[in-house]
Amino acid sequence: MKIMALAMAGEAADNGRVPGLTGLKELPDEELCAKVAQHDQQAFELLVERHQARAYRLACSILGNEADARDVSQDAFIRLYEAAHRFDGRSRFSTWFYRVLVNLCIDHRRRRKWWGKLLPLAGPGDDPNEPGIDPPSAEPGPDQAAIGRESAGQLGEALKRLSPNQRTAVLLQVQEGLSSREIAQVLNCSENTARVHIHRGLAALKKILRNE
Amino acid sequence: MAATHPETALVPFIRGELGGAERDRIAHHLDDCVRCRDAAESFRSLLAELPARVEELPTPEWTVYRAEIRRKLAARLEPRLRWWQTGLGWASLATAGAALAALVLWFAIPGLHGPAPTVDELAMEQPMDVADVADVGLLRNYGVVERLDLLENYDVIEHLDEIKPAPQGSNAVRS
Repeated sequence: MKIMALAMAGEAADNGRVPGLTGLKELPDEELCAKVAQHDQQAFELLVERHQARAYRLACSILGNEADARDVSQDAFIRLYEAAHRFDGRSRFSTWFYRVLVNLCIDHRRRRKWWGKLLPLAGPGDDPNEPGIDPPSAEPGPDQAAIGRESAGQLGEALKRLSPNQRTAVLLQVQEGLSSREIAQVLNCSENTARVHIHRGLAALKKILRNE
Repeated sequence: MAATHPETALVPFIRGELGGAERDRIAHHLDDCVRCRDAAESFRSLLAELPARVEELPTPEWTVYRAEIRRKLAARLEPRLRWWQTGLGWASLATAGAALAALVLWFAIPGLHGPAPTVDELAMEQPMDVADVADVGLLRNYGVVERLDLLENYDVIEHLDEIKPAPQGSNAVRS
């Protein structure tokens, strides 16, 4: 029954015909999370929609692999559905959720390291069954798309040259607007350490992007 | 000017995260330090530019992405059959019960596992103690025991008394 409701709510949300969704859309993440704790499917769909891009990019920046990022960020949303009742509202929803995501990414990386040792020949992208990255959903014009691709490619390459902690800290700051203290909570480190990650990450990005 | 530059505090300062004394200290430092002022300015412009560039990073087709989440979640929510809900569980339980009943019967009915052994039989089954080995007459003459080729020949053993003792000081005899 719950499964059917989940599927129907999701498809209806994707088709843009959910009657109560307009009211929900105005709610902050924290209130939506409280509704998810009561297994409100529409609230869950809305939270996924709000955070999917940022969660995916963050996972991508930590894991450096689109397929893994897709998988792990989806797992984070599933974890959100299952553990929403544990969110106590003492921190922002984004701080809590991104901590869940970062922990999943770290676990995944640890497992991958293990498997990498056992199967050293297998590398990311070697598996032909691995789903490739889908084309971007937005459809800009050809010139704009080319400029965008170049710029995004440059930033993607620059991000790859940062350490995982620096990448995560920079992305949490830039796309989530989290403060140093919140980033420290997500990364499970001191505020000073978080500040160092942000400073070094941004300094390195500046150097790479501006050829300084 | 200053010996230590508050490099890691520049971004929190720009973003307005600092409060009270720390904010004033950084502001005062920036008034005097050109190097930190330039660094803060370039961080400010980078922070203004980055969000738009991050948005351009490639992303998946979100409808497909969300459908995958729904599918995964439905699989997680699907009730899993407990062991007693499966035919295999019941079959295993029946087999274990039958085995237990057979074991109980085996011990409960004395005739099933033969008569109990007598005291003598039990004594025979006892492993030979090391101290007892010394009491075996044959082992007193260790030199003979070392001649395993003799022991292998039953006829020789039968006429053991006729074998001459090994000469004194020979390698075969050890006291």
